[in-house]
Amino acid sequence: MTKTRKDKVAAVEAIRHQLGSRITSGGELLKLHETREARAATGMRGLNEQLGGGLPRGQLTEIIAPGVSQGGGLVMAELLAQARRERRYAMLFDVGRGFTPECVPESDLESLLWVGCESAQQAVEALDIASRDENFQLFLLDLRDCEPSDWRAVKSNQWYRVLGQLRPREAVTVIFAREAVTSASKHRLAVDADLSLDSLDRERAALIEGSRFEPLAFPDPNWNELRQPTAARCAG
Amino acid sequence: MRFREKIHRATASSGFAVLSCPDFRLQAVARGEGRRSVPTVLVDDTRRQSVVLCANAAALGWHVVEGMPTVQALARCPELRVERPSPTAAAAAARLLLEAALNWVPGVEETEPGLLTLDLSTQPEAQWLDHGRRTGDRLRKAGFENVVGLGETPSLARIAAAIARQRGETLWHLAPGRRLESLDRLPLTVAEIGAEVSERLHLWGIRSLGDFARLDREAVAARLGEEGEELWLRLTGRSRRPLRQARLEHLFEERHEFEYEINDTEPLFFLVNRLVERLSLRVARTGRTATAVEVAVSFVDGTCQAKRLALPEPTLEQEVLFRLVGGHIGHLEMKAPVASLLLRFEPSDPVSSERLLFGAGLRNTARFQETLKRLRRLVGGEGIGSPRRVDTHRAGAFELVPLPCEIASLPADSKAMAGPAVTGPVFRRYGTGFRTEVKLRDGRPVMVESSRVTGVVVDLRGPWKSQGDWWHDGRAWERTEWDAELLKQGVFRLVDTGREWLVEGCYD
Repeated sequence: MTKTRKDKVAAVEAIRHQLGSRITSGGELLKLHETREARAATGMRGLNEQLGGGLPRGQLTEIIAPGVSQGGGLVMAELLAQARRERRYAMLFDVGRGFTPECVPESDLESLLWVGCESAQQAVEALDIASRDENFQLFLLDLRDCEPSDWRAVKSNQWYRVLGQLRPREAVTVIFAREAVTSASKHRLAVDADLSLDSLDRERAALIEGSRFEPLAFPDPNWNELRQPTAARCAG
Repeated sequence: MRFREKIHRATASSGFAVLSCPDFRLQAVARGEGRRSVPTVLVDDTRRQSVVLCANAAALGWHVVEGMPTVQALARCPELRVERPSPTAAAAAARLLLEAALNWVPGVEETEPGLLTLDLSTQPEAQWLDHGRRTGDRLRKAGFENVVGLGETPSLARIAAAIARQRGETLWHLAPGRRLESLDRLPLTVAEIGAEVSERLHLWGIRSLGDFARLDREAVAARLGEEGEELWLRLTGRSRRPLRQARLEHLFEERHEFEYEINDTEPLFFLVNRLVERLSLRVARTGRTATAVEVAVSFVDGTCQAKRLALPEPTLEQEVLFRLVGGHIGHLEMKAPVASLLLRFEPSDPVSSERLLFGAGLRNTARFQETLKRLRRLVGGEGIGSPRRVDTHRAGAFELVPLPCEIASLPADSKAMAGPAVTGPVFRRYGTGFRTEVKLRDGRPVMVESSRVTGVVVDLRGPWKSQGDWWHDGRAWERTEWDAELLKQGVFRLVDTGREWLVEGCYD
């Protein structure tokens, strides 16, 4: 005897009724997961507020400092200090190898593994390798000195592969750049510390406190345009 | 982009050992106390005329030498025992050697047949000599003549092994403090150099390795080329290389061929127990655990029953493993007598430790080493490490040290101990800097023009003059720094080197 569609729907309804409140819809489950998402406090009040408590674990976050002296380095130094305070290892992928240890307190360097990279492509490959290692909970990718053509050479599936590896380990990854980098990022924030020459004498904590963080439109409206080949854009 | 940081040099506890078995192929087929006094040679029968490949000390006493026709060797020594190379015996001997080395430290490289290089950085230096002697003795008991050399680098450890062999010792430590003194007593032949270089050094009156190591590097490179410079680097401990980790897969397998037919599972249990015990010990020495066990039982009728038994979690508990394999064996359907049994452990990294319950550190050191190895392959060995400041005013100088395995907790009053609060933004260097045109007024920059940054100076601090290394010929440096805020551009560091102006980096 074949069951009609009506019978099948009735059977499913009966099962649902039996299970009662134990079953939830996919949407509800997703919402539950979103609210339960783990966050890593950054030690920066402004940034924590914008991110809803801290950097999302198992996700990519972009910190965009469009120009020089806007505070990208300050945020990075504070994240290193926070990792040290929490006794967690951090890994910095430094494209251009411009990192200056003399600007970071000696104790903050103790938990840092620095990886000097020649290009954004190499840095993402290195991140791909490192993101499988459960010893590290914080990955910093410094693309501030990269030409846009450099990081655009990174294929989007590479970013998503990294993301897939970060999720189960709940590791935090922060990308520092001058422009939006990848659509795989969960959050994208602009930082502006508005640094001047007088800032050299001010306490770093005060500079961080005075930094403004602003969420950028996500996905970036210019993103698709940027992804198009130059010739196509010119023709348009 | 020039890479400017200082590279981390060997730390006090970094060291290497070389475990060398001379005439390894001969020892593999004819080893043991009783064999030593019997003149024995290994011959190559594959050629048209059989020749001697190598001879033991007793055969050398009869003037039987390498390359001599076997017939001639037999004529010189009627009691000569002739052996043929055996790949099976060589593989078994190599496994024994590797096991002994792994019993000492986990980082082992199979450099050559019969020569292993061991990374001793995982062991306190005070234990090196003791463990070296113990490993050597263990191999001698197994019938292997061997010497152990210890040194700062793989090359120096190899030279130390050569010294031990030449002096009839079983172990030699080429200690860093006494390196030159030890090398002074060694002829050039110990370093395995080419005849041409050796002859030239002889003509220069250089008789010992110590004399050679005292020469100037540039002078050696100019006169002896690459080979001479390479030898100089080896002798001075500057030639460092990462070890190629030995392949260990063959260690995780045990096979037993029965000489008689087995019709019952009962005797198999005894064998399984023994094999599990042996394999567990071997896998444990490599710092790993087993994730699964493969069992293959072959029968005399040519059939085979193989099964992979996965473990719920990686373990090396012999009882658990025996129960797992024994349970499978107990249910075997035996239609014919058993001919052979094979056990293979699938190894994996040990599970993350629970040290983080009480402290902070690397959860999985094996995984970390693997990550480091892969990253080094990608970015090069000089581009990875934990950065540290160095005691110099030279711009951009820092050193890279290995990442500590534990992160110490900060003292409660760390802020007070750290001294004054950290000030200012973080400086970011533009590689070696980029050239710029700087317009001056009264000797102070007022305008900067370059391909990357152009702008009017709105605020300025400086000059800060510094110089250093004037006591080293050709390495002196001198610079004048200015911190300049450019209109709507940011804060940059300008450097006047005396020859040109550079934008060295920015404050961010």
